[in-house]
Amino acid sequence: MNTLFLQLTPPDTNIPILLPELIVAAVGIVVMVYDSFFPKDRVTTGLISIAGLAVSAFFLIRMWSGETFGASSWNGMIAHDNLRLGFSIVFLIVTALTILISTVWVEREDVPAGEYHALLMFATFGMMLMASGNDLVVIFLGLETLSIATYVMAGLRRGDLKSNESAMKYFILGSFASAFLLYGMALIYGATGSTNLTQIADKITTANFPGLLLIGGAMMLVGFGFKIASVPFHIWTPDVYEGAPAPVTGFMAAGPKAAAFASFIRVFVLGFPFIAGIQASNYLHESWMTALSVMAMLTMTVGNVAAIMQNNVKRMLAYSSIAHAGYALVGFIGAGAAKPGQAQDAAIASVAFYMLTYAITNLGAFSVISLLAQKNDRRAEFEDYNGIGFKSPVLSFTLSLFMLSLLGLPLTAGFVGKVMVFRPALEAGNTLLTVLVIVAVINTAISAYYYLRMIVVMFFRERTTEWTEPKIPAMLSAALLIAVIGVFYLGIFSSGIIERFSQSRSAVGAHLR
Amino acid sequence: MDFINENLLTILILLPVFGAVGVILHQMFWKQESQLKWLTFGLTLVNFLISLLLISGTKTAGTGFSFEKNVPWISAINTNYHVGVDGLSLWLVILTTFIMPIAVISTWHAVEKRPTAFYAFLLLLESAMIGVFVSLDLLVFYLFFEASLVPMFFLIGIWGGENRIYAAVKFFIFTALGSLLMLAAIIALYYVHASQTGLGTFDFVALTRSIELGHLAFTGPLAVTGTLMFWAFALAFSIKVPLFPFHTWLPDAHTEAPTAGSVILAAVLLKMGTYGLMRFNFTLFPDQSREWAWLFITLAIIGIIYGALVAMVQPDVKRLVAYSSVAHMGFVILGMFSFTEMGMQGALYQMLNHGVSTGALFLLVGFIYERRHTRQISDFGGLANVMPIYATVFVITSMSSVGLPFLNGFVGEFLIMIGMWKSTILQVTASANWNYIATMLAGTGVIFAAVYLLWMIQRVFFGKVTNEKNRSLKDLSWREIGLIAPLLFLMVFMGVYPRPFLDAAKESVNAIQKRVMHQAGGEVDHAAAVDNKTTEPRSHE
Repeated sequence: MNTLFLQLTPPDTNIPILLPELIVAAVGIVVMVYDSFFPKDRVTTGLISIAGLAVSAFFLIRMWSGETFGASSWNGMIAHDNLRLGFSIVFLIVTALTILISTVWVEREDVPAGEYHALLMFATFGMMLMASGNDLVVIFLGLETLSIATYVMAGLRRGDLKSNESAMKYFILGSFASAFLLYGMALIYGATGSTNLTQIADKITTANFPGLLLIGGAMMLVGFGFKIASVPFHIWTPDVYEGAPAPVTGFMAAGPKAAAFASFIRVFVLGFPFIAGIQASNYLHESWMTALSVMAMLTMTVGNVAAIMQNNVKRMLAYSSIAHAGYALVGFIGAGAAKPGQAQDAAIASVAFYMLTYAITNLGAFSVISLLAQKNDRRAEFEDYNGIGFKSPVLSFTLSLFMLSLLGLPLTAGFVGKVMVFRPALEAGNTLLTVLVIVAVINTAISAYYYLRMIVVMFFRERTTEWTEPKIPAMLSAALLIAVIGVFYLGIFSSGIIERFSQSRSAVGAHLR
Repeated sequence: MDFINENLLTILILLPVFGAVGVILHQMFWKQESQLKWLTFGLTLVNFLISLLLISGTKTAGTGFSFEKNVPWISAINTNYHVGVDGLSLWLVILTTFIMPIAVISTWHAVEKRPTAFYAFLLLLESAMIGVFVSLDLLVFYLFFEASLVPMFFLIGIWGGENRIYAAVKFFIFTALGSLLMLAAIIALYYVHASQTGLGTFDFVALTRSIELGHLAFTGPLAVTGTLMFWAFALAFSIKVPLFPFHTWLPDAHTEAPTAGSVILAAVLLKMGTYGLMRFNFTLFPDQSREWAWLFITLAIIGIIYGALVAMVQPDVKRLVAYSSVAHMGFVILGMFSFTEMGMQGALYQMLNHGVSTGALFLLVGFIYERRHTRQISDFGGLANVMPIYATVFVITSMSSVGLPFLNGFVGEFLIMIGMWKSTILQVTASANWNYIATMLAGTGVIFAAVYLLWMIQRVFFGKVTNEKNRSLKDLSWREIGLIAPLLFLMVFMGVYPRPFLDAAKESVNAIQKRVMHQAGGEVDHAAAVDNKTTEPRSHE
């Protein structure tokens, strides 16, 4: 009788706390349904999606302003902290910008707009779950929702072989990586008897934590390493990014990568602070720090050196995105080294902020590239940009601005982002992390070469062939304007946003503990 | 008026930025290209006149900063927009605003391609340069330091000569690498300060105070950290100066840049390096500055001699002047690292001199290039017969660059030499005083400078006219004379009456000198150097 009564207690559901995610998913379904009735309509679905994203953002921001939503949430499966809120905002911005950028491409290539927008919304839902999941299962669900949507999007240009190749490669390798991740999760469940990250963290603070955790952690590292495209799990990136349609490439470099970072931080920094943390095993903690630092250094160096040798702009940006994952890893490792509390929150916030600056800059760059690329992204070689500088000053100067921001020049978003991720690593005052920052700095100088090359090609070379300036559609110019303002705003007036991002976790999620 | 006085530096920084926006808008709506240069000239002239207000308002007694403005920028990382001037930066700011209108007029007929963008970049460059000299927050300083690269990169890359792309990219990457390491050091400094005093800060004034009070000292366990940070700063500035092994970007950049670009590069951009060393390295890392002075002095002497020797064999006049810059900046470094009051004041004076005379030389080279579209020495000969005014001006400017008495170069070089001679920074042994040896070696540089400049003058201006094309060259126009006249005036004025310049800078420079020599064990080291008289001379010399 007693057991039956226990079963009858209402499940610990807390709809309001999931509202931002639910809105996005619901709007995705609405878009899909709408599309089946009006398949010819290319504009409305986009508008509905953007409206949905805006409503979702509204709720997120309200939560940030201290609105409380009850004490518990889905038996601790959903986290409600700054990590979640900060990253979720990034995802919403990424998706909204992607929709704006895609308009030109959707028109040109005759893409089924409704399906595309629905897929984007589902992908966003997946990303948001990845940031908010406090349970390995939820994180995996989010990851798969995201992945399946992006596999399809990468192959949306059915007529093009490269796009097909891209989708196929992404699918096979992505599934492979997901399998690693899932296996790792299973082992960790085996080791700790729980999939809830808070419980896992509690169980392994002692020195005699189960060794299975190490293997599980290593497996998960492979899975996340693949998703953030860190060396040596990066091989898929250039091919997939080159083959996928330009707006989708921009989306993949900004959104899913940020989502993977969100879960990566949640699991490795908050779940098992780089495998059990200093209290449990100083030695193990040190060796994981070393391993991750080496991974970060390799990621930056390989990404930058390979980017120098590219002749295709999309491929160059693919390698550049690998390099940027390396820079973000610097902040990630800084978060792992920081003491739990304010320093750690600031470090986590720095990664979220870095992904925000990178997302806006990168999507800005891709909006110009999408426009200039023409059908099937034919015009995406460096030589296609020869001497267009003063023929199309608006596009070329904005693209130059994005390149300088990716390079991390002052007054742009990229600069503040870089300063933010280097800070926690230098704060640790540890030789290894200092070396890591120095490597990152030298890499930035290397990267100057290929970012400047874009400017060199556009402004310093003369054009020999005929070229007419493309007309900039209204939606795309909106995206460009947002990106340009974003780059300057984050570069100059970022004070308030950084404070928002790095509010201590307890201030937001106190009621959950 | 109060508003202007309180925000004078901000106005100086922002006026050109808004000017650049205005220039672009003007072109978008009125499309009057002929008005552009007047507009830009007007803006830079106004900025110059405003900057003159600084002279009367800057405290010359005591060590603090004037016209300070301190507002929070990114409060999460405790960085502030903090600007101010003292005797050290005052003249450099005025040099910047002074050289800008001249640079603008020098382009009167030279820029045909994309004039709007050209003038916009010039104005943006001016903002960044002023920002470098007045910022007192390390992160803001870095911001301006790096921001000055972009307009220059475009100026060289779009309006430069044959090999402009190579030169522009080399310029950018060389400088960026150095300054990025400095960025890492700046952030590290924040945390070192936090670990020592409990408060992280980028504020130069706060850092200086901590050092003065002894809260922050790079000794003991922090010695290695201090040395690394010292080098990160020093590398950024040495590349910018450029000090000997890092100088290779300079001849390329100078040769390929348009005349206005070369003038600004020589007159102002190089000074950022020496200014940075003097302001930041000496104040923040006094122990390390003393410890490594021998290396800087050695490199400076190598630079002086090497620059002069390479200049001697250049077939291209502009390249010759560029290499002469390497030699002149070597003198500045030498004077700074002598750590004597005279040497350091001489170094500051020589920074201004180099700005005036080398700027003028680049202008003069630009004049002849506009006429003949060549700069090869072998294409000329006997120009004095055809262009007597030009020849006269050129000879006077060269003499100023060589350091003839009664012209400005003499004062600076003389002070530097005396400073180095009296210095105690290098080893003094029973058999040799290395400070004397350094002075003597540097002195040969003056002779070499006379050789390469006079030889070039002889080949270009004297003798018979050998090339028929040179026969019909026109002498300087009134615009060109008006352009060079203020520079000539300054050369003579600064040569006979250096007092106002030196007096204004004196206290600030002396304060830095005292910090380096008499603080955090400076006295002890000094005593040790005397005690060590009997030890072997250091192997590096």
